[in-house]
Amino acid sequence: MNAVTLPMPAATRVRGESLWRQAARKFGRDRLGMLALGVVLAYFVVALGAWLGWWAGGWADLTGTKWEPVSSVHWFGTNIIGQDIFDRAVFSTATAFEVGLSVALAATLIGAVLGAFAGFFVGSWIDEFLLWCIGVLDAIPFYLFVAAVAYALTDNPWAMQVAMIATFWVGTGRLIRGEVIKLRGMEYVEAAHSIGVSEVAIIFRHILPNTGHILLVQASITFVSAIKAEVILSFLGLGIKDGMSWGLMIDESTKEVLAGFYNNFLAASLLMFGLVMAFNAVADALQDALDPRKVG
Amino acid sequence: MAGDSSRPVLKVRDLTVEFVTEDGVIRAVDSVSFDVQPNETLGLVGESGCGKTVTGLAMLRLIPMPPGRIASGSIELDGRDLVPLPNRDLEDLRGRELSMIFQEPMTALNPVFTIGNQMTDVLCRHRDLTRRQARPLAAELLAKVGIPEPANRLDDYPHQLSGGMRQRVMIAMALSCNPRLLIADEPTTALDVTTQAQVLEQFRALQAEFRMAVILVTHDLGVVAETCQRALVMYCGSIVESGATADLFSRPRHPYTAGLLASIPRLRSERLAELPVIPGRVPDLLNLPAGCRFADRCPRVQERCRAERPVLTGRDSGVACHYPL
Amino acid sequence: MEIVQYALRKLLAGLPLIFGVTLVSFALMVYFGPDMTYQLLGKNPTPDQILEVRHQLGYDQPFLQRYLGFLREIVTFNFGESSTGEPVTTLLAKTIPVSLILILPGFILGHVVGLLLALAAAYWRGRWPDKLIMAVAVIGMSVSFLIVIIGFQIVLSSSDGLDLFPVRGWNASSLGNYLSYVTVPTLATMFVALGYDTRFYRSVIVEEMTRDHVRTARAFGLPESRILLRNILKNCLIPFITRVMFSIPQVAIGGALLIESYFGIPGIGKATYEAIVTGDQPVLKAVVSLTAILFVLVVVLNDILYRVVDPRVTLK
Repeated sequence: MNAVTLPMPAATRVRGESLWRQAARKFGRDRLGMLALGVVLAYFVVALGAWLGWWAGGWADLTGTKWEPVSSVHWFGTNIIGQDIFDRAVFSTATAFEVGLSVALAATLIGAVLGAFAGFFVGSWIDEFLLWCIGVLDAIPFYLFVAAVAYALTDNPWAMQVAMIATFWVGTGRLIRGEVIKLRGMEYVEAAHSIGVSEVAIIFRHILPNTGHILLVQASITFVSAIKAEVILSFLGLGIKDGMSWGLMIDESTKEVLAGFYNNFLAASLLMFGLVMAFNAVADALQDALDPRKVG
Repeated sequence: MAGDSSRPVLKVRDLTVEFVTEDGVIRAVDSVSFDVQPNETLGLVGESGCGKTVTGLAMLRLIPMPPGRIASGSIELDGRDLVPLPNRDLEDLRGRELSMIFQEPMTALNPVFTIGNQMTDVLCRHRDLTRRQARPLAAELLAKVGIPEPANRLDDYPHQLSGGMRQRVMIAMALSCNPRLLIADEPTTALDVTTQAQVLEQFRALQAEFRMAVILVTHDLGVVAETCQRALVMYCGSIVESGATADLFSRPRHPYTAGLLASIPRLRSERLAELPVIPGRVPDLLNLPAGCRFADRCPRVQERCRAERPVLTGRDSGVACHYPL
Repeated sequence: MEIVQYALRKLLAGLPLIFGVTLVSFALMVYFGPDMTYQLLGKNPTPDQILEVRHQLGYDQPFLQRYLGFLREIVTFNFGESSTGEPVTTLLAKTIPVSLILILPGFILGHVVGLLLALAAAYWRGRWPDKLIMAVAVIGMSVSFLIVIIGFQIVLSSSDGLDLFPVRGWNASSLGNYLSYVTVPTLATMFVALGYDTRFYRSVIVEEMTRDHVRTARAFGLPESRILLRNILKNCLIPFITRVMFSIPQVAIGGALLIESYFGIPGIGKATYEAIVTGDQPVLKAVVSLTAILFVLVVVLNDILYRVVDPRVTLK
């Protein structure tokens, strides 16, 4: 339908190359995407080191005095009670990955499965019910929902994650539902149906694997949403309870910035900005690389 | 036509259109030259992807740039080259001197504006008219293309009309400023056979009335035979044969033209199953063969065809083949 | 008339949604929510006192009965009294107008500026203004709302910055006061969704630019700017309207909640936040049901607007 039918498809796609290999090739050529991926990996190494106790183990220790400036001992200075801001920011990177990865994986998985069932049985009561769930979750304001879940799961350290997962699967679910409605009409699905493959097997073996490109992009978008939501929820007192996170650091800094001390705020927000920005860029590059409509 | 005193409306010389892709530069139109005489209907024939549509769009410089570009050549309308023309001047010509109608009447009209609105847009753009003045003119044009109750149709939205009616609206819009040259890109392909015949008939009558030159871009040799005085056959971005339609059809000289003609089903043919097809496939435009681009599919291929690219022997009537029929 | 009937039918169709929202939030917040009994009692309460309070709070009734009681509260719009003793309806009447005048300017400006940036990016697509705008959009998407708020506060309100506006608080007694207090929250509200909105608007416009009818308009000599602002934009209205409409409930609660609790502005967001923190269930129930109703209204209004802007959509 586009302006000109370019005489290209036969030319550009190396014959027999799978969507994934083609996407990997395209991604590899995307310099900005590769740079962003490098940044994300660097962050991950930082998080890994914090998990393994290589660094930032002393994030909770009182190693200095109140509001020390940047020095060779305290690279980002110290906070109001003399804790090392650099250690706290580094340790928070690990928290960000914990929150981001767990929420992204679970929400994407749930969204994929529920979306696939809704799409495969489109029009049936399963679909109607799931659409109703999606509508209901859309209609409840996010922060209220998190608060509600936090209360229902009082003192459960996973309350925030559960609330995020319960909200964030909706977007993926809706997308996958639409895609599966398209896929279920495809010949190979009908062929599998006609030779008696069970419906559940068709969904898991033949349909879901073909939505992988959507799931990957959605997972990276959900990761970003989770990290951003954590900051706000922690500020509202609904987030991380034990440990340290960028959200808690920024919450702490709200009492400091008006007194003219910015180290806590800058350390947490810049580190967080770097990761979110890089992840956004990776998600964009993935989307470009995996979009079959985009030629070249 | 050589002895004709009138100058050609359109002179295209060495037109080359390229598309830049990540995998390389694709030459969709490769050094194409042709003339269009006043009142003439010129057919531009070929399979899909041969560059005929790109050539048609290039006449109005409607190729999306980037990724497309007019790499070289000239397109002279009444002696004025359109290739270096600033956009503003080009916009003045489009729809007034040069009009174009498209293949898909379903999508070519804007779905959220009425027919009348879209027609008066064009009329007001090129003629010094108010909307109120343009409306009766639009109704008149709709009547000319055979639309019943034209005044009422003006308030309809495109989705309320049939495909044939929509294409008539497109034709009416294209004719609204008396263009010198009309480019029709597969104007009837998307229509059913009966409507196709009606629209073509109307089209021919209007061409006589409006006295304009037409470039008819099509893959349908039947349409060419019925409508065009002359035709150009394109393959892989180049013209492989040109000439008067009657000559092309009765004595094709390029093996590709012969192949195309042989693959038209004829009503009297004894067995449809034996319809000949041209063997092989169109070569990859990124890796074109060095010699003749048709060599791999040609029944008459020789050593020389693979080494040396044949040139078109004449602009108005010629063939690009080392061993023509 | 047709449109009224249509709206009524749509409202009816929205009832299951309201039912779902109220059921889920009731179950989470009230039924499984925190037990308020001991907060209302003095030290060392007697078992009778405990029972008395539990009865007052309705804790001794079965789930269904309590839920039906909640529905009755919604229908009669009587949510009882908040834990401070103030009737909930009074609280709502006091706070909602504050939130409206606080959030509305930023909400409108955000969408308008986003659309203008998207138009500019689409007009020069592929060239440097496009690349610049889209790069800034991604940067904007990567900054947390909270960081935006604090950032604006430091730059515009603190003594280390320009020190132009009050640091926090609210005073709308005169236009001048209103403007000085509303500016920083407005900028933050505008900025937080700007990156996302700009990208969204641009992608819709650019997609529409590839349509055949745009090529037709070009082929008839209509100028590029006119094609963009008239032919393309009118075709984009449906996704645009959906975007704006569905961001209303999010901004009305999410945006207000954060902005008001950060700046200490006495709107519905701060009231909600305080209700969350203190477990003030009458207020939470009112807010949840109001947002559910708001959501359904948004859905209905959205469908009606479709009909207005797109001749192909019929009210069926």
